[in-house]
Amino acid sequence: MQIYLPIAEMSVSAETILSLGAVVGFLSGVFGVGGGFLTTPFLIFMGLPPAIAVGTQASQLVASSVSGVLGYLKRGHVDIRIGGVMLSGGLLGTLIGIYIFKMLQHFGQIDLVISILYVVLLGAIGLLMLVESFLTIMRRNSSEEPAPGVHQLKIFKALPYKIRFPQSKIYVSALVPAGIGFIGGLLVSIMGIGGGFLLVPAMIYILGMPTLLVAGTSLFQMIFTTAFATIMHAVANQTVDIVLALMLIVGGVVGAQFGVRLSRRVKGLYARVILALIVLVVSLQLAGDLLIKPQDLYSIDG
Amino acid sequence: MVRRFKSAARHKISGVYLLVLFIVFAVCVAGKYTAYAQGWRSDGEALVIDLAQDHVDITTGFTGARLVLFGVREREGDLAIVIRGPLENQIVRRKQPTMGLWMNRESVRFLDVPSYYDYALSAPEEKTGSAVLRDQLGIGLDALEFSYESSYPSDFVLRFEEALIRSKQAAGLFPLEARSVFFLNDRFFRVEFDFPADMPTGDYQIVTHLFKGEKLVDQGRTNLRVAQVGFGAEVFYFAHTNGFFYGLIIVFLAVFSGWAANYVMRRR
Repeated sequence: MQIYLPIAEMSVSAETILSLGAVVGFLSGVFGVGGGFLTTPFLIFMGLPPAIAVGTQASQLVASSVSGVLGYLKRGHVDIRIGGVMLSGGLLGTLIGIYIFKMLQHFGQIDLVISILYVVLLGAIGLLMLVESFLTIMRRNSSEEPAPGVHQLKIFKALPYKIRFPQSKIYVSALVPAGIGFIGGLLVSIMGIGGGFLLVPAMIYILGMPTLLVAGTSLFQMIFTTAFATIMHAVANQTVDIVLALMLIVGGVVGAQFGVRLSRRVKGLYARVILALIVLVVSLQLAGDLLIKPQDLYSIDG
Repeated sequence: MVRRFKSAARHKISGVYLLVLFIVFAVCVAGKYTAYAQGWRSDGEALVIDLAQDHVDITTGFTGARLVLFGVREREGDLAIVIRGPLENQIVRRKQPTMGLWMNRESVRFLDVPSYYDYALSAPEEKTGSAVLRDQLGIGLDALEFSYESSYPSDFVLRFEEALIRSKQAAGLFPLEARSVFFLNDRFFRVEFDFPADMPTGDYQIVTHLFKGEKLVDQGRTNLRVAQVGFGAEVFYFAHTNGFFYGLIIVFLAVFSGWAANYVMRRR
């Protein structure tokens, strides 16, 4: 069934969008990731303008982070204080990201930047996850030692505005969580992804937060940055399509049901290997587009 | 007697008069009819056109539309019907390998590009009017010329223009070839245009040309309005006039859906 998107002013296949939402929801159910890294490139590939893809994707992330954070909140696995400090940087990052997005669009380089960011970030994360998983498989029997992390580095200890975060039991400069949030905000508004795959390791290794609190806290602040990004895209660019957003969300909710059920049967380790492979495939696909001579050198801006 | 004769004579005269009048009338009508049936009028309007529907409504289930144009030509000649969507600026960019990556480098900004263009002909394109006239009236893809902002040489820009037309053709917004004009009889014709689901919104102009040999005999103009209606139109209007509340509503819906999804999942 074709459905006309009122803001994008184009007709898309409802089945395709719902399936895309379902696949992404399924992955987020299994792996606990937002899945924005799949939605945005696929929407652009379908012919939607990048601005609409990114703007609308932000609203879908609001739904998935709300849905995800509730479980962590109930178990008390959210450090609201750190989340709040991260958020201050996150909102600023979102705002600046929207401005950068507009600039890049003006110069015709938005597709390129989105692609490069995807290739670099996804490629690196996918590779890291894969290596880490294999290392874990190999030394399965030996006892695990926690990674030392970089939060003990002098540069982070020397920063001013130190605050005590009792729940996470860390004493750190407010600039560190705010800086991490800032990067997250940039990713939300430029790439249309929640950036959990980047925030989570950053919070563990740079901030030195307990692993237990990381996922919930990152989701908690993501609700606000993605909600803010949605409203900013709607105000500044009118690029949030409510019909597209609802289809992605509905598909996502359904897909997540199956994903969560499957995740109880799949071992976490193997799930991570599969996720790493999916991430790598997406980034290789995008890298190919950048490196191989395109069939048509010319492209049209709307 | 005299009076009677007079009256009889008057009677007779009026009878003859009526008969003459009738014959004249009959001849005129017959002449007119035969003229209409066999020949062409040489005075008055040569071309009358109308649309079966003067607007295209884009609803949520819109999958494209067919526009039917009816017309009557009162004189012999070749027809050319041109439809143009609202004009817009289009930037065409060209990728070049840069540090190993294919990235957009040169760009040309074309002005006054019809967002939609299509045309129908009753005769082969090269026989419709003259080349000069076709160029002037914008009949056919070769006649389309866009002004542009660029300091590049014109043959370089031409490649960008070709790319623009190619991409518009691929999107179904420009035609690959002329459509045909269907004649129901010598005078009465019909033209059908098929619009894609992604047709641009706005005011469309339809111009019908009648050529006699290389000369333009008459033109008929009409307009077509393409717009979203109903829910889609309201959403578009609200999003463009009240972006903040529009964004807020979407966020609210998203938060609610996220909460509902979690609620359902936990109950299982």
